[in-house]
Amino acid sequence: MLQVKNLSKVFQSGESKVSAVNNISFGVPEGTFATIIGKSGSGKSTLLALLGALDRPSAGEITVGDQVITKMGDKRQIDYRRNQIGFVFQSYNLVPNLTALENVMLPMEFAGIEIEKRKNRAAELLKEVGITEDKFERRPAKLSGGEQQRVAIARALANSPKLILADEPTGNLDSATGKIIVDLLKNLAKREKTTIIAVTHDESIARASALTFRLKDGKLAR
Amino acid sequence: MSKMRSEAESSEKRTESRERSSFFSKFIGGGTISRGFKNAFRNSLRTVSIVLILSLAIGMALVMLMSYNAVQAKIDSVKSNIGNFITVSPAGIRGFEGGGSLLTQDDISKIKEIDGVSKVAQTLMDHLTTTNTNLQAATEAGDFGARQRGESQMQGTSQTSNHDFSMPVMISATDDLSVLSSLNISQLNFTSGDKFDATTQDNVAIIGTDLASKNNLSVGSNFQAYGKDVKVVGIFDAGTKFANAQVFMPLKALQNLSGQTDQINNAVVQVTSIDRISDVQSKIKTALGDKADVVSSQDTSNQAIAPLENIKTISLYSLIGALIAGAIILFLTMTMIVRERRREIGVLKAIGSSNIGIVTQFTAEALVLTLLGSVVGIILGLLLSNPILSVLVSNNTTQGPGAGSHNMMMRTGAGVIAGAQGTLNNLTANVGVDIILYGLGAAVIIAIIGSAIPAYVISKVRPAEVLRSE
Repeated sequence: MLQVKNLSKVFQSGESKVSAVNNISFGVPEGTFATIIGKSGSGKSTLLALLGALDRPSAGEITVGDQVITKMGDKRQIDYRRNQIGFVFQSYNLVPNLTALENVMLPMEFAGIEIEKRKNRAAELLKEVGITEDKFERRPAKLSGGEQQRVAIARALANSPKLILADEPTGNLDSATGKIIVDLLKNLAKREKTTIIAVTHDESIARASALTFRLKDGKLAR
Repeated sequence: MSKMRSEAESSEKRTESRERSSFFSKFIGGGTISRGFKNAFRNSLRTVSIVLILSLAIGMALVMLMSYNAVQAKIDSVKSNIGNFITVSPAGIRGFEGGGSLLTQDDISKIKEIDGVSKVAQTLMDHLTTTNTNLQAATEAGDFGARQRGESQMQGTSQTSNHDFSMPVMISATDDLSVLSSLNISQLNFTSGDKFDATTQDNVAIIGTDLASKNNLSVGSNFQAYGKDVKVVGIFDAGTKFANAQVFMPLKALQNLSGQTDQINNAVVQVTSIDRISDVQSKIKTALGDKADVVSSQDTSNQAIAPLENIKTISLYSLIGALIAGAIILFLTMTMIVRERRREIGVLKAIGSSNIGIVTQFTAEALVLTLLGSVVGIILGLLLSNPILSVLVSNNTTQGPGAGSHNMMMRTGAGVIAGAQGTLNNLTANVGVDIILYGLGAAVIIAIIGSAIPAYVISKVRPAEVLRSE
């Protein structure tokens, strides 16, 4: 489903060049919950940004399904992020002045879905990730960390993406809540045949995943 | 969770609804604008501060626009009151003063040929004395008359000193009674009879009430001038003793009677439009050369409107200044807001918002802030426009226009200048719908410029930058 070929990303820092991602190649089959594990500075966030078309690589190719996303222009990349990818961030990154429901509706709004359909689907998704109806109209600040991350997962699922990219999804949560979130992601991958790639430095998440890639100094050490 | 499978499978249905969605929501996002509106009230303290500061700038801009318009309207009215006239006099001669040669019909023909001249009214003046009239002057000589007579004797006239002399009667003639200013008066009210046809050669006259009663003349009676009978066709009251002691005749009649065929004391040239006055004035100067003094009503109106032009300039610069200040305030505010929400912008892009969607959202937010600022600003403007205008006027008219002018030619402009001076103090700024629309229009432009630039800059930043700063 996901194919990465000879991927590199070099950052220019003053006169010196830093290879955050150095000639990486790997593949992830459809419906797999995969983790990329590494210490901070190992290049895992950079890799995730490249997979999500948030940044362009210095070299190499990323293929999702039958689309080579590294060859897409800016407009097609926006479309790719909008319809084929869901993001889950470490600090949830919900829009603070929108309610839980409105946050989940947002990606569907960008995809041009009618407002009634957006509302219905957002409510369904929130229920499915375990947010009760009385919390739909709450703003993120009125929700616990675990609840915010559930809302973020619901938001990532909004446009039924093929790929969900999660950046340290349990980084800001206690271990019990973290486990619940990981289980949620794992079940999603299984039932929805959605490919999930989570970046983490937490070995317990890696153990829970079907496929783990270890990243060290921008290189894969499987 | 089980429902999600079917949701995934029904993605075809959603694709259908996406296709149905409008261009607007596809590219800008249906909720983008409403989100921008909501964001404007995200931080109420900041919203209130920004709206207040913006309203001061917009209010000031509006006040200045109203002042500018009020002053411009006054300038236009002063200009149109003064009229589009050029006065041509023989060089060195004003009325009966000075010396040189009078203008001739030839000179008038040259003026009439100039492009932009719509009408030329000609005037001739003479004195009727005991030697050529049976009329008794209606004014006594007094000290002033005696002195004038004394001076003329010293200049070598052959008349012997005579303390019982009678004052000459002033006789004026014109070919166009509508240009009364050329006859040294502002208006004629006929007590009996009516005005003559100024283009005829008939020996007819209209006389002032004082002259009529002094000589027991009424409409239909005759008096003697230059050895001929002249018939009175009208008796007028011009409101001044000076004018009421005079005789007016058609131009050609006086030219013939007085033996001054083709000669003219003074010509009032009417120009097709005010804008062409200086052009026509210089053409007349070129055509007549040293023979004539050419003075336009614009020369006098410029004196009258000089302080108004000052206020206009101050208003214009303040207007521009206030608009720039408003734009800078909004620009800095939006830059601050955009920087503050860098993370949010990154997230919006990561989940599929387009750049134009983000720019639209921030522009909508800026528009709400500016529109609120405009509403408060318009209210402030309405309250402050007249007090500020009166301060501007009193600071710029301490030296009244026309003060100290003693030019003979002021006779056309003097009244208007006095009028302009009087009306300066009751200049009023009026608010029309157009002014408010201009204000709102300016606010919208300020909002778009003030927000689009910072939003565009940020929207160019790749969302990965936002992830990295986590």
